[in-house]
Amino acid sequence: MFDNFLVRENSLQNVVKDGEIVGFKFDVRIAEYRGCFLSLHNGYYIDLDGEEYPRNLQKFEINGKEPRDFDEIAKAVWEHWDYGEFGTVYVDKPGGLSKGHHKLGIMQGVLVQYGWQPHDQEWIDNPPDPRDMPFKQTEVYYYDMVVE
Amino acid sequence: MAIKRGVSFYSYQQAQYFGQMDYHDMCKELHDNLKCDGVEIINEATVPGYPFPSRAFLADWANTMARYDLTPVALDCFLDTMRFRDHVMNKAEAAELIKLDLQLAHDMGFKHIRTMTGLPVEVTERALDTAVKLDVKIAWEIHAPIPIRPNPEIKGLFCDSPGTAVMDTVEFIKKTGTKHVGFVPDMGIFARGPHLDTVERMLRDMKDQGLASEITALMKEVSLGELSTEVEKRFAGRLSGEEKRTLMWKMHAAPEDLELILPYVFSIHGKCHDLTEIPGKPGQYEEPALLYEEVIDVLKKNNWDGYMCTEFEGQRSRQERTMDDFVDEVDQVRRHHEMMARLIGE
Repeated sequence: MFDNFLVRENSLQNVVKDGEIVGFKFDVRIAEYRGCFLSLHNGYYIDLDGEEYPRNLQKFEINGKEPRDFDEIAKAVWEHWDYGEFGTVYVDKPGGLSKGHHKLGIMQGVLVQYGWQPHDQEWIDNPPDPRDMPFKQTEVYYYDMVVE
Repeated sequence: MAIKRGVSFYSYQQAQYFGQMDYHDMCKELHDNLKCDGVEIINEATVPGYPFPSRAFLADWANTMARYDLTPVALDCFLDTMRFRDHVMNKAEAAELIKLDLQLAHDMGFKHIRTMTGLPVEVTERALDTAVKLDVKIAWEIHAPIPIRPNPEIKGLFCDSPGTAVMDTVEFIKKTGTKHVGFVPDMGIFARGPHLDTVERMLRDMKDQGLASEITALMKEVSLGELSTEVEKRFAGRLSGEEKRTLMWKMHAAPEDLELILPYVFSIHGKCHDLTEIPGKPGQYEEPALLYEEVIDVLKKNNWDGYMCTEFEGQRSRQERTMDDFVDEVDQVRRHHEMMARLIGE
């Protein structure tokens, strides 16, 4: 769903901390027709210019709180990511991105579904790579982005 | 006793996503243009801060219902079983979530909640006291491929016993005599063809665009329901497995099957993907994939009293394109209401 519209236009930026560029970030909405309990959001497959940035390098900022890693997000069982609301994905990358064009591919890992499924326990024990759990987003979506 | 018209705000999911409509705009559209009063919402799409909305939201919701003279019909709810992340949600926990949704429905003026397809009786049983106390009913959605008449051959979808789930719940209703448990059948179970929007997407994506053109020409000669058979007859071996599956369809329930459960049908999802103009009848529309006329005839014959709420879903199959190619949800819902009003005989 919303194939070309999950990532906010012009939102790819470097992240500066204490005067150093420590990574990059971009804004994203949920690939669904509804929001979800925040704990169900399990990170991203991220391909930037052909390089993969795994989940342990990612944080997510939503609901006016500081960016949290996805182990912390998993504990937010009574907090909600509302439909249509942009959150911000932070990715560690010392030195950040060069100015100019970049190709960003994402697949969102959100463990929403319709009731009990045979894979539930397996996915609790070992949450799959976002590419192995297609739901409303069925493939990696790619965006041409520019860092100003 | 009458069939009344409503809209599930699911129908405007794309407009909401892009900030073109919020629930106020949707309510105004129902009142001003559709001339209907039934409102159905998705809890996790319309309620900010679900499941704990602010009092300001609840007040604004009530005020908006009053301003446009609308009737809250159904609150659509979900069961995300992996939410706790350290264990699979058990049935007692599922009932607790349903109780939260019942309270929210009560606070927003809804008469029933629409829960997950094939909701296990055990979950319903655990939440029933709250439903009675709040006088908000629990109805689960009969969604394709779940049948109404028992068919034990259907397995592995949505719940443990999809083929008999409807009759398991009917048995519970009869055994307990409860008035607070029932169903929301989705019109998608009454199919007469594949959905036109998914066929069109397939034709756009086909590698063999020559064949796509031939199939497009064939669609002018045969009905959607006949398309699969005719394509197989004329172009055998030229479609991929996935393409063949896109053209296939099944009537999961016959319209008259509804008579088995009508006393427990609290509202109906007016599922639709495409409202096309009826040839020779300008301004009149039909859903070429679904048996609307036949279903509404059954409802009228049985003096069924309730809301059929438009659940337009044809937007998704064009979202891989640019915004200029997107379908206009507002227009499609208006067409759907032209069709419903005409078939109901308003």
